[in-house]
Amino acid sequence: MSENTDNNATQASEAKPEAINASCRLPVLFLFFSAAVWVVQASAAGVLGSLKLHVPGFLADCPYLTYGRMQAGVWVAFLFGFAGNAGLGLTLWMLSRLRGMELARPGFVMAGAIMWNVGVTAAMVGITMGDQPGIAGYELPAYASRVLLIGQALIAFSAILTYFSRRHKQLYPSSWYLIASLVAFPWIVGTAHWLLVETPVRGAAQIPVAHWAVTSLQQIWLGTIGLAALIYFIPKITQRELYSRQWAAFGFWLLLILGGWVNLNSGSPLPVWSIKLSQFASMLFVFVLVAVGWNLCQTVKGVPLIGSEDLTLKFMGVSLASWLVVALYTVGNSMAEWNGLLQFTYAGTAMRQLFAWGFFAMAMFGAIYYVAPRLFGGEVDWACSGTYKWVFYLTAVGAAVVGLAGLGLSYGHGDALTNVETLEVSKKALMPMRIAFMGELAFLGASLIFLCSMACLLFRNCCGECSPMSLIRQCCPAKVEGGAE
Amino acid sequence: MNKSPWIFLGVLFALSLSWWGMVYGPASQVNNLSADLGGGDTLKPRVGLAKQGEQVYRENGCYYCHTRAATGGTFGYKIQITQLGDDQKINEEVVGLDYSTQTVFKKAYAYKAVAKAVDSLKAEQGKKAEERDEAKIGDANATLISAKAKAGAHGDDMEVNLKAYGISGVNFEPDMRAQLGLPAEMNEEQQAAVAGARFDITDGTQKWSDIESTVRRLKDKAGAQFKLQPVAKEWPDVQGGAGRQSVLRDFLFDAHAMVGVMRVGPDLSSQGSKIAPLDKDGVPINTREADNKFYKHLYDPQWEGESSHMPPFRYLFRERPLEKDVLAGPREIVIEKEGSSRVAIIPTAKARALLAYMKSLRTDKSLPEAPLVNQPKQASAE
Repeated sequence: MSENTDNNATQASEAKPEAINASCRLPVLFLFFSAAVWVVQASAAGVLGSLKLHVPGFLADCPYLTYGRMQAGVWVAFLFGFAGNAGLGLTLWMLSRLRGMELARPGFVMAGAIMWNVGVTAAMVGITMGDQPGIAGYELPAYASRVLLIGQALIAFSAILTYFSRRHKQLYPSSWYLIASLVAFPWIVGTAHWLLVETPVRGAAQIPVAHWAVTSLQQIWLGTIGLAALIYFIPKITQRELYSRQWAAFGFWLLLILGGWVNLNSGSPLPVWSIKLSQFASMLFVFVLVAVGWNLCQTVKGVPLIGSEDLTLKFMGVSLASWLVVALYTVGNSMAEWNGLLQFTYAGTAMRQLFAWGFFAMAMFGAIYYVAPRLFGGEVDWACSGTYKWVFYLTAVGAAVVGLAGLGLSYGHGDALTNVETLEVSKKALMPMRIAFMGELAFLGASLIFLCSMACLLFRNCCGECSPMSLIRQCCPAKVEGGAE
Repeated sequence: MNKSPWIFLGVLFALSLSWWGMVYGPASQVNNLSADLGGGDTLKPRVGLAKQGEQVYRENGCYYCHTRAATGGTFGYKIQITQLGDDQKINEEVVGLDYSTQTVFKKAYAYKAVAKAVDSLKAEQGKKAEERDEAKIGDANATLISAKAKAGAHGDDMEVNLKAYGISGVNFEPDMRAQLGLPAEMNEEQQAAVAGARFDITDGTQKWSDIESTVRRLKDKAGAQFKLQPVAKEWPDVQGGAGRQSVLRDFLFDAHAMVGVMRVGPDLSSQGSKIAPLDKDGVPINTREADNKFYKHLYDPQWEGESSHMPPFRYLFRERPLEKDVLAGPREIVIEKEGSSRVAIIPTAKARALLAYMKSLRTDKSLPEAPLVNQPKQASAE
């Protein structure tokens, strides 16, 4: 009784999609465009760094461009620059749409987005100057993570207000994932910031903390945003109901519980119980794999995803496939022999790349392809819609090359590491990385096309009649016709 | 799942599980770790240049291509007797025929017999004159002469004698030592040989299940003192130069624990032992040649045709070209490659710090949780 009364009291009428899109327009587009800029930077730095594997002397006299610094910069640019901006933008839009309410306090989002990008820029500058904390996968200097946390808090504030603005509606599973991502980020980054950078714990304790932070950022933070997009867009575009809310809930909770435990190397200098527990969690990850995979596969039963005519669905198809492959690799890590063979090879990095590009970036590219034009209104489409499909092809090819090189060729390296008589270990180590370089080139191509597409979309449609493209159109005929004088 | 507060609480609870397991649990355990290695030895924090070198290693991102984690492997047990039990028959039965027939074993029991005879002779001679039994003294003397003869019958190899003396657990007066083929006055080396005497009764290929009953009988029945020494079977990192597996305490005093991502380059957990190996007293031997070799590798990893894919770190050096017959300065290192000009380099403070850091990376000290592992003996070329 009291609940009904409360619900009736706080119940607000559902806003129209056009109104929701209009409320999201400026902050979400700003976040998407920032993501496009950062993804180019991440892929360009990745290519530049990988070039050093082919030509060790390339840019060797510049202390700011060592392979290690560039690798740190690549991941920060991708994780916080691209993934953070795109993920937060999509979170805001999806929460608004799922709750049927306009975005609350967009000013906070703008302030947060600016802070966020300042934080990422500070991190990149810091890494270039050699200020990274030495934790592969979490390379944020103290000052950068402080700014990022404030930026995320401002954006999350708006998201939470939007979320609580209506209470009567059934929560769609994507909402759970998005809420989890908003809660997980400050928890993970806050822990890493305080225990690893600001007031570091003893050196020995940093190893498990760093592993937890890095794995949680990937599996939980990126994982929840990416899966929220898959669970939202696949049923929406195929116009089907999600197969099972129960499966979705099962996968959701298990992902949150297990995400921080998995993938610990069996050779880590840690207590045996930690390693065994991690292997057990990796084994249990099979349930997440089945829950998410089965649910989505049953949802689209009979409908081709990658072979679909719809570009967003194609993106989502590759994204789902990549997530399943990486989840399978995670389950494989429960086998000590497999993990022992591959732990110091390129396989782990390749799987991280596959997760980042094949799963997350694909989901974001697909979602942005769907969302961005709608933010301008019903009539707008991508400037050169034909070119956007190359984002799909190049990213898919890149992810496949990196994934195959990492999984297929790292065995030789792992085998060489376990055999003292094998010579030329470094040659075997470099082989998969050299092949993966082709994949990184594809990522760079995809990123550039994505940035150009975003720029064109904004160039043509921002500011209504005052958009740069409208102004050019107004000027050009005047010149042809004999001048605007 | 339509109640928002429950979802928030559930998310927090789910996250807290892995946080507890991977952050709080191990951190609490690590906080209890002590720097004490036992025997008055402690792990020492990295200081001075080596500490600065850790920062150079971090800021250049060396941990992306190098690990600092010597992993575990398979190993067998070598049972090393440090002191034999009193009962020769039981000890013979426990160690088996292969080992009980060895000279060291026989000689050790001969020393024990001599010691026993000396003790009984002393006991009899120490009695008051009216209580003394001359027959017993005669018997004790005869036993002593016979024991001495037995001890002498097993050869006169000093190394064997010292080892047998060490594992017998007896202590002779100098004149008795001289009579038994042992040095009356021992120098430091001989004292160390006696103190560190070990008698191996397995060859290090046995698994725990193979030696479990022997260990129990040695302990409970034979009364012998012994150590279990791991010997690498398939242990690539140890066979590649590490002294043992890396453990948490190796990172105890690190400002940044950089375990590493990939092994594009070699594992560096025992790099210090390679650049400056320990002498017999456990002190690192620093040589200019080894230091310069490291600097040359850092400046030009392909120097002298080395097959390395490491990028050069020339910016860590000051360099000047050298004319053909010009001598380099005292602190300069000359790099001379076929087909290119001569260069004299001087390492900057960062390069020197990096070298000091490399020298601090060692796995050549035994820890209770990670004892030093012996290398398996190589089969002889014959």
